[in-house]
Amino acid sequence: MKHVVVVGSGASGVHFAQSALERGWRVTLVDVGRTAPAPVLPDASFARLRHEHDDPAGYFLGRSFEGALFPGNKGEYYGFPPHKGYIFAPLEKLAVRSRGFDPLLSFARGGLGEAWTGGSFPFTAGEMVDFPFEHGEFAPYYGKVAERIGISGAVDDLAPYLPGHAHLAPGLRLDEHSEALLASYERSKTRLNRDLKCFVGRSRSAVRGDDRGERKGCTYLGRCLWSCPREALYTPSITLRELQRHERFTYVPDHFATRVEADGANRVRRLHAEHVATGAKRAFDSERIVFAAGTLASSKLFLDSLRAHGGVAPTLSGLMDNRQVLVPFVNLAMLRKRVELDSYQYHQLALGLARSDARHYVHGLITTLKSALIHPIVQSVPFDLRSALWVFRNAHAALGLVNVNFHDERRGECSLALEVAADGSSKLLVHYEPSRDEPARMKAALGDVKRALRMLGCVAPPGMTHVRPMGASVHYAGALPMRRESAPLTTSPAGESRDLAGLFFVDGSTFPFLPAKNLTFSLMANAARIADAAF
Amino acid sequence: MAEPLERECEVFGRYLCGAPPGDYVRAQYLAAHAAGAVEPAGGATRFERTVVALARSGPVAARALDAHARVFANGSLLRRKLVLMLALLEVRAPHAEAIDTPTGSSTLAMFAALVWLGLRFAFTVFVTALALLPVRLYCALGAGNEGRIGGAE
Repeated sequence: MKHVVVVGSGASGVHFAQSALERGWRVTLVDVGRTAPAPVLPDASFARLRHEHDDPAGYFLGRSFEGALFPGNKGEYYGFPPHKGYIFAPLEKLAVRSRGFDPLLSFARGGLGEAWTGGSFPFTAGEMVDFPFEHGEFAPYYGKVAERIGISGAVDDLAPYLPGHAHLAPGLRLDEHSEALLASYERSKTRLNRDLKCFVGRSRSAVRGDDRGERKGCTYLGRCLWSCPREALYTPSITLRELQRHERFTYVPDHFATRVEADGANRVRRLHAEHVATGAKRAFDSERIVFAAGTLASSKLFLDSLRAHGGVAPTLSGLMDNRQVLVPFVNLAMLRKRVELDSYQYHQLALGLARSDARHYVHGLITTLKSALIHPIVQSVPFDLRSALWVFRNAHAALGLVNVNFHDERRGECSLALEVAADGSSKLLVHYEPSRDEPARMKAALGDVKRALRMLGCVAPPGMTHVRPMGASVHYAGALPMRRESAPLTTSPAGESRDLAGLFFVDGSTFPFLPAKNLTFSLMANAARIADAAF
Repeated sequence: MAEPLERECEVFGRYLCGAPPGDYVRAQYLAAHAAGAVEPAGGATRFERTVVALARSGPVAARALDAHARVFANGSLLRRKLVLMLALLEVRAPHAEAIDTPTGSSTLAMFAALVWLGLRFAFTVFVTALALLPVRLYCALGAGNEGRIGGAE
């Protein structure tokens, strides 16, 4: 029977595995696979948790109070829930040194997708001109993935920038603030569209509104950031759990892949891995090996494999990531209203700025502030805390945030390489330099976003815009681009390495361009496409 | 060692939400200190510890010194302690509701109150800056340094 070994259980890995199983393959998935803690009081809302939880400080702030954000927290507005710390917990075996980049890696079941906000934004044909296949060949896979995971949204004014696809379910109930913003947009859209080329519409989210299988529909508990206890918000570990019931699927957790072994004809034969705790070595024989560990981990695995095979590890250029800028705003019409804690917590609206080059489209996620820890925000108000609390309680329902995303393209100065120590161990070197035109692009786009907010009746408080460091968006891509023409350190349109035959990349490593959008939905679609194209 | 901390917790709780923080918040406040979660990196200066001791005297002093710290030492020990207290209050009912409910005034009254808060804040910062000058001098000269002192209280 045809057998494929997959490395990594993130969004790409599990959707590739699912498609490969559907095509009759036997799949072995090797993974570190750290597990999530069990959900707490699964039917309680965010507000009820503060009444019913025996130890709310332990839950919200952590046993070591690591979830409490003190002054000088690098300008991030949300603290990361302590019980999600397992997602980003480092692994000593994968050492990284970086310059100009704050890399985030995950060794959790489901990978970085366990921490996403569900944003599912299809690429347009214009954004895919650098890809070595037609958009029409790719687009059906959005529908396929949407059927699997459940995506809610609408085809509205953003449709030219967020194309529709099959199995798009109606959007969730809007919270009062998002509803007010959308109504305001309807009143001023003529000017917004004409003067700023700005469009606002419903966001697209991987959230089920209805029950399906073990997943329950969203009941607006307001706990999205703390891991939806109903699993209405999709995460890849849900698919992994489903795959584990398949008779042709074998899950090998607690193993860290170290390299692939190839024969004299540069064809892969075996994957080598080590037990995370004991260091015991294990090999997995297969002529088809799929890397789905994420751009950084997959690239290191590839470089370590080349070094073991040929003695030399080259430099991979073209690392990409979306620059993100957070623009907080106050909607004056929502002042003094009571905040709606029982709401879907993440972005319910999106904002798009059209650009003359379709690849340069700017995408913003509009999140109204509902259930969230407030102390990181209150402390940033320029008053004593008592006065700041007074301001905040009257403004809470009026606060929101636009997370503005910018595209990125492959550039030679952004690279991944290995640093090899005397004992033979290696470290991944990440080097990133922003493009020279980035400041001008950001200035123009942020000016437009702030003007658009004013037209919507909102004010962006001066001095509070926060440019996130590169790496923070965790949309990494581009180290081994898909190309039609064969060349070293590239992959075929089906994601197969041109250096080691039989080795496939189904994560972001192969994307030749990075539109200004969360790429997780496109990763899943691409993984399913590669399974169909080459398996 | 625990008594000043308990007193501090009581005062800071009253300062932030106008009511005693209760046993659970008090226990967590002490636990956070025991875990070393509050100390600034490298420890607090003698001046910062003196400011905390002064703030412990009551909610009015806490507010005045908080205003001063917001402008001149946002990452100082006092601000960190107050932010910890706020974080503890917001995760525990009924304090959470108490600190996050709109005051219900009209928009005009709200903006008037905002102006009043701003003026009072500026005045408080000015007065406390003057009042703390001798304390700052004493800590700098009397102690022989402004050096950082690590460790728990």
